[in-house]
Parts: sequence; C-alpha cells; structure tokens
Amino acid sequence: MYKLLLILKYLRKRRIAWVSLIAVMLCTTMVIVVISVMGGWLRMFRESFHSISGDIIVQGRSMLGFPHYHEMIKRIEALPDVKAAAPVIRSFGLVNINNQIRSGVSVIGYPPNISQVNGFTTSLFRMTGAKELAFSLIPGHDYRTPPGFSSRGKDPKTWDGMIVGDGVIGLRKNKEGNVDRDTDVIFNAYVVLTVMPLSPEKATPDLTDKTMRFFWIVDDSRTKVHLYDSNTVYVAFDALQQDLQMDARDNEPARASDIQIAIKPGANLAAARDRIARIVDDVTTSHGYDFRFPYSVKTWEETHATFLGAVEKEKVLVTFLFSIISIVAIFLIFCIFYMIVVEKTRDIGIIKSVGATASGVASIFLGYGAAIGIVGGGLGLLAGWLIIHNINGLHTWLGKIMGIQIWNPEVYLFDTIPNTMNPREVAIIVAIAIVSSILGALVPAYRAARMHPIEALRWE
Amino acid sequence: MPLTSPSTTTPATQTILRASAIRKSFRMGDSRIEILKHIDLAVRAGEFLAIEGRSGSGKSTLMHLLGALDVAETGAIEYQGQDFSSMSAAQRSRLRNRHFGFVFQFYHLLPELNVLENTLLPPMIELSWIAFHAQRAALRQRAADVLDQLGLSHRLKHRPNQLSGGERQRVAIARALMNNPKVLFADEPTGNLDAETGRQIMDVLEKLHQDHAQTILMVTHDRTLAAKADRILLLKDGRLTTEPK
Ligand SMILES: Nc1ncnc2c1ncn2[C@@H]1O[C@H](COP(=O)(O)OP(=O)(O)OP(=O)(O)O)[C@@H](O)[C@H]1O
Ligand SMILES: [Mg+2]
Repeated sequence: MYKLLLILKYLRKRRIAWVSLIAVMLCTTMVIVVISVMGGWLRMFRESFHSISGDIIVQGRSMLGFPHYHEMIKRIEALPDVKAAAPVIRSFGLVNINNQIRSGVSVIGYPPNISQVNGFTTSLFRMTGAKELAFSLIPGHDYRTPPGFSSRGKDPKTWDGMIVGDGVIGLRKNKEGNVDRDTDVIFNAYVVLTVMPLSPEKATPDLTDKTMRFFWIVDDSRTKVHLYDSNTVYVAFDALQQDLQMDARDNEPARASDIQIAIKPGANLAAARDRIARIVDDVTTSHGYDFRFPYSVKTWEETHATFLGAVEKEKVLVTFLFSIISIVAIFLIFCIFYMIVVEKTRDIGIIKSVGATASGVASIFLGYGAAIGIVGGGLGLLAGWLIIHNINGLHTWLGKIMGIQIWNPEVYLFDTIPNTMNPREVAIIVAIAIVSSILGALVPAYRAARMHPIEALRWE
Repeated sequence: MPLTSPSTTTPATQTILRASAIRKSFRMGDSRIEILKHIDLAVRAGEFLAIEGRSGSGKSTLMHLLGALDVAETGAIEYQGQDFSSMSAAQRSRLRNRHFGFVFQFYHLLPELNVLENTLLPPMIELSWIAFHAQRAALRQRAADVLDQLGLSHRLKHRPNQLSGGERQRVAIARALMNNPKVLFADEPTGNLDAETGRQIMDVLEKLHQDHAQTILMVTHDRTLAAKADRILLLKDGRLTTEPK
C-alpha cells in the first residue's frame, strides 16, 4: 500500500522525475512519428506497386513477349485460386503531343478487362473505377483536325483514345495544392505515337517498319508511382499489339508481354505462383520450347523487390537509429533514479526500520519507473498521434514559416506525408518505453533494496 | 481507545526480550573496534528500562541489535523465546512492523507524507492495498486517536517541515505506537529538543508506561532522563552494569 502512495508522492513532489518523464515522452513520440511515416510510406508504396501489377505476373523477358498467352490465360483462369488473368503489352515509343512535347515514353497496352486484375482504372481521373477500360473517344466532344496538322486524310473522329500518365503532359498543382487539370487543354491534345515492331525472324529491326498512330487524350492516370506517372502512356491492347506486329500473322501466333493475374482474397500467393508457373511451362513445352521467348513467373512483391526492399531497409535503418537515440532516455532515467535513491537514502532507512522488506523497497522504485514509463509513453503516444494526424498541415506550416520542404513528392513518390498509425507497432513502441523505464530504474531499485536500514538512517 | 492494549498474554515479570553474550565491532580502516564486548540483558514485559552511557559508548548500536535492525557478531537475541538468527529477513521486517516501535533522536519522518500518513506508515507497510482500504476508516480513526492523545489533532494534514521539533517527535511516537508495539524503543528521544519540550516527551513516555504498561527501552546519555525509568543499566566499555543508585 505504502508503495503506491510513495510512488504517487514522488511523482508529484520530485520535479526531477519529470525530466525523465519528458525524455520518455519525447523518445516515444519521435519513434512513433518516424515509424508511422516510414511505415505509412512503405504501405503506400506497396499498395501503389501492387495496384499497377496484379498479384502474380507472367513476365516476358524479351521485348518480343511470348506466344500462346490465350491458352495460358484460359488454363490459369480455370485454377480455383485465380480470380482473373489479363494480357498486357509493354513497349517503348515516341510521342509527339500537340507538336509541343516530343519524348520517349513507355507504352502499355491494356485490354478492357484490366480492372479485374489490377487497380489501374482507380488511378484514372475521368473514368475512375470503370469496370471496362475503354479507349473510345469522349462522346460529344468536338474533335477537329488541328490546324496545320497533316492527318493524312484520317478523320479525327476515328482516331484512337490514349490515356497518359499525368506527368507526361506536365500537370501542375494549383494554389490549393490540388492537381490543376485543365481538361480543355488535355482533351484537345492530340498525340502521335510511333512504335517500332520487332520481328522474331529478323536479327535487327527494320527502321522502315515503324508504325504511327494518331490519338486523342481521353483520360489521365495517377498511379502515384512517379516512375510510371512521369512517362507512361496507355493504349488499347489490340491496337498496340497490331502496331508492334505481335498479333497472329503468317505462321506466328499472337504474343503478349505479360499476363497479369489476380488471385482470390485469402489464397496463398506463393502456392498460386507455383501452380501458374507449372501451367505456363506446360503450355510452352507442349508447343515446343522456344528460346526466343523467355519468361518468368513472379509475385508482385518479387517483381518490385528492388524498390520495396530499398524502402523496407530504409525503414529498418531509421528505426534502428532512433532506437539508439532512445537508449539515451534509459540512461537518463537511470541517472535520475540513482540520484533520487541517493537523495532518499534516509527515507529508505526509515521505511525499512518500520518494517518494509527489501522487495517492497525495490518495488517502489520499479513501480516509480513503470509509472514514468506509462505516463511518459502515454503522453508520447498522444503527442505522436497529434503530430501524425496533423503532419501534412504541420509540414505546410513549417514550410511557410521556415521556407523548408522536407517532403519532396518527386523523391518520396507521394504528394502527402502518410498519416496513419499501425496500432500493433504503436503498442510495441509504448510497451518498449515502459519496459525501458523499468530497466532504467532496475539498478537504483536494487541498490535501494540492498541498503542496510542503519547505514541508511545514518546517511548524511 | 487506549494507546496500546494492555498486554494480557505476558505477565509483568516475564522476560520479553533477552540478549546473551552479544558482541559487535565495526571496522575502522584496517583495525576493528569492539563497541559491544559482552552484553547480557533481559527486558521484562511491562518495564521501563533505561540504558545510560556516554556518547559513543554503543547505546544506539545495542538498541539497533535489540530492535532487529542490525545483526550481532556473536551471541543470541531472543524475542518471546524466538532467536532472531532463526528468522528470515522478511520475518525480522515483520517483527519490527508488528511488535516493535522505534523513536529516534532525529524523528525520521518521511518529508513527502503528512502527519496522518506518516502515522499510518506501519499499517500501510503491513497491509496490501486492498486490505488497507478495507480497514481504512478504522485505521484512520486509530491514527487520529493516537495523534489526538499526543496533542496533534489539529496537525493531521501538515507536513513534517511545517512542524516544530517537539511536534515531529510526537508524530514519530504516534507512528511507533500505531501498530500497538510490544516493545517501544526510544533512542535519545529528547536529544534534539529543548529542556521543556524534552520533558513533555518524557511525560508522554512515562504516561504510556504507567497507564498502559507499555514496555519501553530507552537509550540516553542523560542521567536525569534515565532516572524516570524503573530500572537503569549503564553501558561502559562494551559491557552493561547495574547502575549504583
Ligand atoms: N556503521 C559503523 N561503522 C563504523 N563505526 C560505527 C558504525 N556505527 C557505529 N560506529 C561507531 O560505534 C561507536 C558507537 O556508536 P553508537 O552510535 O552506538 O554510539 P552512542 O552510544 O549511540 O552515541 P551517541 O550518544 O552519540 O548517540 C561510535 O564510536 C561510532 O563511531
Ligand atoms: Mg546514539
């Protein structure tokens, strides 16, 4: 009983204890903020990467892609764990936008059912979340041949639709921080896309083979992965396949670059990958293995392992660094508690002479440490929560008064600083704060427990 | 409610605390000084015993040994027939808590606690949180009564540093009496007080002894204080002798 009373009295009357309390609080806040931002960042990163690639990818390792994808998809979709599978073409091309922007871009060809395997359609502005991805022109829009542009007699109303990564056309943020999309400008922009077909028969491409196609921009996409958004354009799978001469022709079957596969929720990713790999191998060998069309079967995590791994390592590193800083707090508690024990030596003698046991005295100081850990950790949690939930406002405000911008969207990929807390991680951090405080109090408590009552009473 | 319940279990002539052939020395650098050489002592239940001796003669040391606060090198100390050396540290702690009361020269109150809380310290140490709260009202009443009889009823919420020396010593006495001790140890209880206040404290002790047959073992260097006791022993050269009256 006296233990609780003394702990409370010491907490209230010993100002020095507040120093350790504040140290615990600051360390808790610091680690919570760092882990939450880094963890949130990693989560956003993973979600974005996952969103653009489906769960499992059969990836052609040559620019030629690989054949027999229809047969593969049919058999893959028959697997019980698989929700859907869709072919994708990846290539490179040159764009000329409005005769103003000319640049080399990644070109991706998506089939209409792509929304079943990845989250691409959620990244769109106009057709957000469309079930079927359509590259048709915007109904009712007045398409005219741009002045001075030679469309070689092709009616502008029959051109194809193209979706561009929002970075390709150089979108800017307005004063409110929202992406400024002048739709008049976007939807009146025409694009000439030039791609280079590769023939499996020829050793080098024939430059006269190049194909050109006219597009209107029908939408723009923001996958949040800067790499994609800055220089990728999306067109219809069939059109791109034709232009790259990957469609079925002569004696060659049609080819695709990738097959993206979505598996059912709860299904085992690795097991599904292995089953799919077996099907793909089976289909390939049944047609006679062709060394010109190598492929690999990977989960989305494996596909983006280099990026995800780097971010994961960074999180571990930063957590480690801040944990080292937090050890300082333990030492602070240790020093302060040692001081308090020395200062309270006579009191320890008194309560021992009145019958307190060694373990009773030790538990006063351990309880004191725990109390500091609980209160400090709790306040740290509160402060961390407040900071995390207002982090973007804080960041803007800091930027305004000090003119610094720590979070550069170009570097960190995302416009906003992640502001979610993982309850499990936070619980662990607070628990560590409490345990550390008790650890810091351990040696002083042991010293107090061992103190001889008479020596303690004689202490000057 | 009386300050202490009259001891009905132990007749007045029975020995409550017995020391035989006690020896205690302290190390001073390389050498050892023997403070207590050979002490034989029997404290009878209900008596007021004074041990007189010059400063540095080892009175406090002896009292600490008898109060189970320290351990003798040789010899045995028995409380109600039980040898201290056969008790565990926890048992000795319990003995100090339940059966002994201590009053020191320098009061030794806890500065963070008020008068009432300081007085309640022994039951607070003895009882668990739940047990204490179950008996809270009764214990507070008991503490208030003890403090009242010592003339401190108007000081319950004061902290030790707001009290005079005499008041502090009375709080210390109240704390010592809180658990109805069988033996009350007093080490120079008036040593830090002026003559008048010292006399008041002595009156309190005498009254306790007379009215409630409280066993008191007082240690002092002051012959006139010792004279208030039933029996005086002289501590000299590490041995006890009967005081020639
Ligand atoms: N822990 C210790 N270490 C070394 N010497 C000690 C220790 N405790 C007591 N002494 C010595 O033992 C001797 C007796 O001390 P004690 O406190 O018992 O004397 P006392 O008779 O109570 O004196 P006073 O009347 O001044 O209180 C002193 O000389 C003291 O220096
Ligand atoms: Mg002394």
